[in-house]
Amino acid sequence: MLSHDLPETSAPPAGAATMRYRVRHTTRYEYGEDVPVAHHLLHLTARPHPLQRVRRSQLTITPATALRADHTDYFGNALIYVAVQEPHSSFEITAESEVEVFAAPRRDPSATPPWEAVRESLRGLTGPDDGADIVQYAFDSALVTVSPDLADYARPSFTPGRPVAEASIDLIRRVHRDFAFDPSATTVATPLSVVMRQRRGVCQDFAQVVIGCLRAQGLPARYVSGYLRTLPPPGKPRLVGADVSHAWASVWCGGGTGWLDLCPTNDRPTDQDFITIAWGRDYADVSPVRGVLMGGAGHALTVSVDVEPLEQAAE
Amino acid sequence: MADSDQISADANLPGPGGPRTVPFLQGSLFGEADALGYGGAYVYDEMVTGQGKLRPHWQTFMGTLGPLDPDLMSDRWEEARRLLHQNGVTYNIYADPMGMERPWPLDMMPLLLPSHEWKALESGLIQRATLLNAVLADLYGRQTLIREGRLPPAVIHADPGFRRAVHGIRVPGDIHLHSYAVDLARSPDGRWWVLSDRTQAPSGSGYALENRAVMSKVLPDSFRHCQVERLAPFFETFKETLLSLSPRKDRPRVVLLTPGPYNETYFEHVYLARYLGLTLVEGADLTVRDRQVYLKTLSGLEQVDVILRRLDADFADPLEMRADSSLGVAGLVEAVRAGSVVVANALGSGLLESMALKSALPTLCRHLLGEELKLPGVAVWWCGNDAERAYALDSLESLVVKPAFPARPFEPIFGSDLSKAERAELVEKIRQRPWNYVAQERLALSTAPVWHEGKLQPRPLVLRVFLCSTPDGGYSVMPGGLTRVSTESGKLVVSMQRGGGSKDTWILSGRRHETPPARTRLSPPADPVAEPIKPVTTDLPSRVADGLFWLGRYAERAESAVRLLRAAHTRLTDANFPGAGAQMRPLLSLMAGLGLVPKDFSDVTETGTGRGLQNALNASVFDADHPYSLRTQIVRLHRTAYSVRDRLSLDTWRVVSAIERQSQGPSSHTGSQTAGTPGQPGQPPRARIDAASMLLRLDDIMISLAALSGHQQESMTRGSGWRFLDIGRRIERALHMIAVMRGVNVADLTRYDANTQEASLAILLELGESVMTYRSRYLTTVRRDGVLQLLLADESNPRALAFQLAALHGHLTALPGGSMPRNDDPTASAAGIVRTARDLLRDPAALGSNAALHSTLDTLAASLPDVSNLLAHAYFSHAFARSA
Repeated sequence: MLSHDLPETSAPPAGAATMRYRVRHTTRYEYGEDVPVAHHLLHLTARPHPLQRVRRSQLTITPATALRADHTDYFGNALIYVAVQEPHSSFEITAESEVEVFAAPRRDPSATPPWEAVRESLRGLTGPDDGADIVQYAFDSALVTVSPDLADYARPSFTPGRPVAEASIDLIRRVHRDFAFDPSATTVATPLSVVMRQRRGVCQDFAQVVIGCLRAQGLPARYVSGYLRTLPPPGKPRLVGADVSHAWASVWCGGGTGWLDLCPTNDRPTDQDFITIAWGRDYADVSPVRGVLMGGAGHALTVSVDVEPLEQAAE
Repeated sequence: MADSDQISADANLPGPGGPRTVPFLQGSLFGEADALGYGGAYVYDEMVTGQGKLRPHWQTFMGTLGPLDPDLMSDRWEEARRLLHQNGVTYNIYADPMGMERPWPLDMMPLLLPSHEWKALESGLIQRATLLNAVLADLYGRQTLIREGRLPPAVIHADPGFRRAVHGIRVPGDIHLHSYAVDLARSPDGRWWVLSDRTQAPSGSGYALENRAVMSKVLPDSFRHCQVERLAPFFETFKETLLSLSPRKDRPRVVLLTPGPYNETYFEHVYLARYLGLTLVEGADLTVRDRQVYLKTLSGLEQVDVILRRLDADFADPLEMRADSSLGVAGLVEAVRAGSVVVANALGSGLLESMALKSALPTLCRHLLGEELKLPGVAVWWCGNDAERAYALDSLESLVVKPAFPARPFEPIFGSDLSKAERAELVEKIRQRPWNYVAQERLALSTAPVWHEGKLQPRPLVLRVFLCSTPDGGYSVMPGGLTRVSTESGKLVVSMQRGGGSKDTWILSGRRHETPPARTRLSPPADPVAEPIKPVTTDLPSRVADGLFWLGRYAERAESAVRLLRAAHTRLTDANFPGAGAQMRPLLSLMAGLGLVPKDFSDVTETGTGRGLQNALNASVFDADHPYSLRTQIVRLHRTAYSVRDRLSLDTWRVVSAIERQSQGPSSHTGSQTAGTPGQPGQPPRARIDAASMLLRLDDIMISLAALSGHQQESMTRGSGWRFLDIGRRIERALHMIAVMRGVNVADLTRYDANTQEASLAILLELGESVMTYRSRYLTTVRRDGVLQLLLADESNPRALAFQLAALHGHLTALPGGSMPRNDDPTASAAGIVRTARDLLRDPAALGSNAALHSTLDTLAASLPDVSNLLAHAYFSHAFARSA
């Protein structure tokens, strides 16, 4: 998906096929003993952007007495603060949204500017609004620190003069080839250096590997969290709740092209199968549920994500 | 002074024309410098001119100081050292296990600055504070400086110190910077330059206050004659400012948030909290409910309005900042967003400690304030900017390379020290991530005299000055500062962390009779030397109650240990001690049962049995690795006292310090160290203390412990704090008495021979400090029933178990109910346990037969520890936050 940061009100590209989804994301904590107070920060509300319209969005929190405050974070995502202030043994949030995802116009990756030119163009971005917004994704962040490892890994894709989109697509192809998908290999706390060493991980890890490689080349790269519609196997009904939170990377391809979202886990640019929730510099900026509990001995977490395609929207 | 808080500047750069070997011209008019034997400077010296003449503003001071007699100076130095020690002025050094509570180094010669020079500095400093605040307000607000291209975006985005979570939060009066410090250095031409800005949570003003308190006592005549500007009004202004920030105007509560006793400058947090009358709190003392910050006190949650923050923003809220921080308050950022609490300095203010934007300050000053920058900064080239980097790399030889951002620290690199290969490596690193580096001009620091090895010697200095915002939105400068000097004349780095020294800084008012400025004050100007203002609040945070409880327990535990050790050492040393031989056996068995000595020694029959026993007893006193030794208990006592230091009187603290010193092993006292035994070349020389000195030492410790207990009884107000301290003592004493009774097998005593019975009872009476009472009361030979009556059941004997239970009962019924519902009130349950125990002891049958005695002691030993657990549950166990 080629997404331009155009104003949200802009009309969907004419004649494009549009996908409609209902997304239900439930996070449930069960605590070993009562928790007297808990604070949470949520990034669970689908983010509108030019290729995605959010028709409806709703958050249900249990216990219902929880305090809620809505904010917008530095990256423009909806951020919700929740405090549960009475002893509780479980906490559940269900985020439901109905979104429309539009098809992006097709662009030729080889027609994008050379990656060095994009890197050099950042120097000029001292000016108006978006400049700072783009440049911020070029620097180290809490979970993605550029290392010689990452730089070395990235280099073969970034041959001199290669168009930025082409080089980036080559990079995710290699990550997809070289890294094994293995949910047992990492946790959210596994550092990037370990992922690089063991060459295993999950979508969050692959996204951050790609981001680190891009930043090592001096290119702004951001982390996108969202969902992926899982296509049912032929002849079988799709399994409810089988889907999970997904993550991918986005690379800045210069003013003419904008941000290009790439999914290393599936080795392809994102399309109408991808639903965007939030973006930031890495997972830490946009983790779906972050919390601090007072007391409570141990907790069990269950997450279910249900991405249900609705009938094709009327064009 | 934060971790990164070291200043590197050159002390030994050649001045124009290179180093001069002759420091002062011979035959100068007064020859003052020669007469003082002071020389060696080729930079700017604060005291003497290049011609070796005393600068005019030093005349009065040197006159009052009198002849520089080494003995006199040394006496003064000792006096100062004693005062500093007594006041417990210390700082901690990170990454050094011995680094806790280093004594604060203070030099006897203050730095003097004349008023006209200070006036000029003051106006430059106020302008700089105003400018930095305006930059902060912009960067955390509309960011026009970046949007208009006046600052490159990388200045904030490459800096981990830019806190996105607090961007867009409006703060009262747009003041982000309430407390600000600047490190200044003077160049050879006499101009002052800014070396660095402290905008996160500046430290040092408390040390400056303490330095002043000491110097005004050590050099009272000089202090009086020099008309030194007072520091107190500055702190009054600061207090007023903090109060004025409160969103609630009715009785606002201001707290000082400290990272805790392990922080480098914890002493200062305690000191300032007292001086300003603020409640000292740690993150765990605070909680956020309904987007408001509350202090957890024994009597419930109390709203907090203003937080003076000595905790780095990074650690302030595990929800929105570093998730691994256990020092912060979850939800604090949300409370700030809601506007229900004001944090000073505002979260995010540390951004301006970045070196990356220093070179832009003159331009920003013109743009934001419409003025020229008055106080120049030492030239800095930020490598994130192409032109600046080009210059920096070209001129590396003469520059020092430093971290651009405090969050990406590394040691300063002097270009001139680098080999060709090292230089190439550095250049490559800079090219890779240019924004992380700055190059700074090297500055030859000015020197001031320090008293060292019996004479005045010039040492390079850096002056830290302090500002606070005022209630009307301006800034005020503390007329003084913290002068830091390096230990060696040629040393490049001035840093307390590296063992430099400090000086008081005297601004000479030049006024004969000073009239206070016509500003309304909260209170008459206080002498900084005087006792700190009393805290306005008597809230007792639960953590402090916990600390006091354990302080009571450890103090009592140490006392019990001393009694046991003294009993054993006396018998071991003095074979003439009546009954020594027979009493040694039950005593050792008791000590073995309490873990003080190994079990093997408990079957000795005579005194003086072997070196092994002597060594084991010595270890039970001094060995810090021994889990139950006296030293171990006292280290715990000291640590615990340190953590609640703001609640202890200065005298109490002095006693605690003394106990800690007295319990140090002989090896730390070089005087009593003996050489290694010849013929055992592999053995390190082992310090030993002879038996007589050991007893004296134990006596000293006992006297100090008694003083501690005396302070507790006679000097503490009977609030909740005292109550918890006393509860700790009572529980410990009760448990110890039961352990001792069981340790000598009192319930089975009738099975032993008469000698053993008598010996065991004698020991019980001695440990229970009840020998005299027993004699006067019973006038007979020692019998078990009498001893049990006196030590267990007698509510009038302060050593008896029944007395502890009565006291505990009184405390428990007087405590605030706690936060639990009435039907499940742990305090009530604890009181119930104590009541049952009292009833048991009142029953004469309970202490009658062996079987009854067994049952009584077992019941008490099983139930009384629950009192401690229940209290912990009711008051202390505010479970600590964890991430999910």
